[in-house]
Amino acid sequence: MPKAILVDTTRCTACRGCQVGCKEWKNFPAVPTKQRGTHQNPPDLTHYNFKLVRFAEHMDASGKVTWNFFPDQCRHCLEAPCKSGASLEDSIIIDKATGAVIYTEKTVKESFEAIRSSCPYDIPRLDPKTRRIVKCDMCIDRVRANLLPMCVKSCAMGAMNFGDRADMLALAAKRLVAVQKDFPKAQLCDMESVSVIYLIVDEPAKYHKFAVADASDAMKGAPGMTRKELFAGMFEPLRRAAKQVQG
Amino acid sequence: MPSPTIETALARATDELPALLPLIEAFGPMLIAREAHRAQAPGWTGPPPEIDAERYSLGTPILAGVGFQDRSAELPGLAATLLPTLARSFPALAGQFDALAESIRSGSLPAQELWAAAFGQLPAVPGVSVHALSLAAAELVRPFIERQAADLLDHARELPWRQQVCPVCGGAPNMSVLRRVQDDAEYIQAHGGRRFLRCSCCASEWTHKRVSCPSCGCEEPDELVVLRDPARPFERADACDRCKTFVLCLDSGEMVDIPHPDVAALTMLPLELKAREKGYAPMAEHVWSGLGG
Repeated sequence: MPKAILVDTTRCTACRGCQVGCKEWKNFPAVPTKQRGTHQNPPDLTHYNFKLVRFAEHMDASGKVTWNFFPDQCRHCLEAPCKSGASLEDSIIIDKATGAVIYTEKTVKESFEAIRSSCPYDIPRLDPKTRRIVKCDMCIDRVRANLLPMCVKSCAMGAMNFGDRADMLALAAKRLVAVQKDFPKAQLCDMESVSVIYLIVDEPAKYHKFAVADASDAMKGAPGMTRKELFAGMFEPLRRAAKQVQG
Repeated sequence: MPSPTIETALARATDELPALLPLIEAFGPMLIAREAHRAQAPGWTGPPPEIDAERYSLGTPILAGVGFQDRSAELPGLAATLLPTLARSFPALAGQFDALAESIRSGSLPAQELWAAAFGQLPAVPGVSVHALSLAAAELVRPFIERQAADLLDHARELPWRQQVCPVCGGAPNMSVLRRVQDDAEYIQAHGGRRFLRCSCCASEWTHKRVSCPSCGCEEPDELVVLRDPARPFERADACDRCKTFVLCLDSGEMVDIPHPDVAALTMLPLELKAREKGYAPMAEHVWSGLGG
């Protein structure tokens, strides 16, 4: 049964336990960084940081400041554009039992730029030592052993939830109704197309440029078209061909 | 976290622990039957026993001086389906279960006596050993009392219970589970989860202090021992050097699918044997507890 993660950002305190837990489980080394005047550290996802809590400050016209937290990670798309963009069949695979999108060692033969640019959430990173393209694998080793993904296990606030997709969608819908009473703009990000669903209370762009697939401005070279629309159009012929082959 | 079906839990246990296959094949069908019959059994009927909040909070179980409602009239019907299951699971006892079934069918073993046998009043049944009768009677009665207990415990959910015995029937625990309880609280939630003890008689669960021996109340860290297999760190036997008892414990805090406690306890038999070898005695036994000893 496909799995899903619900990230309820209304409960996130940006403790970064998920970020640290991920690094601990993967046994990744520390990444040297500099103080940039923000708690977001390191500045971006790296080949040693598959999970990153993003911080975004905003002030409205009345001077009220809001601080948005966004535990960023791979969304494990149901129809992963990165897989469609790969040249090899098995460099990027989708685990049938969980729906996790897994990058294999064969990603060394893929074009990193092609894979990264195919991701509407800007997730893939290149390991300069191994030349593998890497990202979150939904802790597939843990999940297969009936253990929660490390980010979910380490979340002390109940912001991270993991389970069967149907259960997570039901929980997401319930939380959305509750949160919308105080935050009318609350929404679930791309819930129909991804396995990692974010509940946010403001416009997606106020969390992260790539919070949703079409949060960014219109793509360069494709005026008036969002990234999501661009990818949908790009891979539609492939999907049609695949469906014809499958009958 | 949701619990998978008992069949799913058994299938996973078979995959993970092929060495326990004979054990799972023997007791698995019995556990499946127990679950199915519990779902169909009538619960407590009529008004529940009056619960005196003060007495209850001081340690008087709900059914003290009352007992479970007698459902002996339904035992012959259940025996017709359950005894053949037991006969298939335990071929060496098949003849005795057949003899017991015939005694029930013919009326030579009245249903009321069969009900009483589950509570230790064992009659003599031709061709049936005390052990076989005890096992069969307990399994026949168990679905009914577990359903009744679930109904009764609902009436005391809001009352405090800090005892080491069951709040419904006063039975001792033979299993415990650490469960991570998700709620809507706005404060930080403990990762370890609360400790639930599980009654060996009626399967009721109640919370109990984590760092303490549920048998003698010892809270000295130096005297509390945790036995476990490094390969399965979520399974453990919580033992006490002061009173030399132990209770099995499933740490489900980081599990995706939490197995049924009975299945978990079955797969922890090697750990149970290890605890016994070290000189600890269980607070209460499972049906399979005597195996290997």
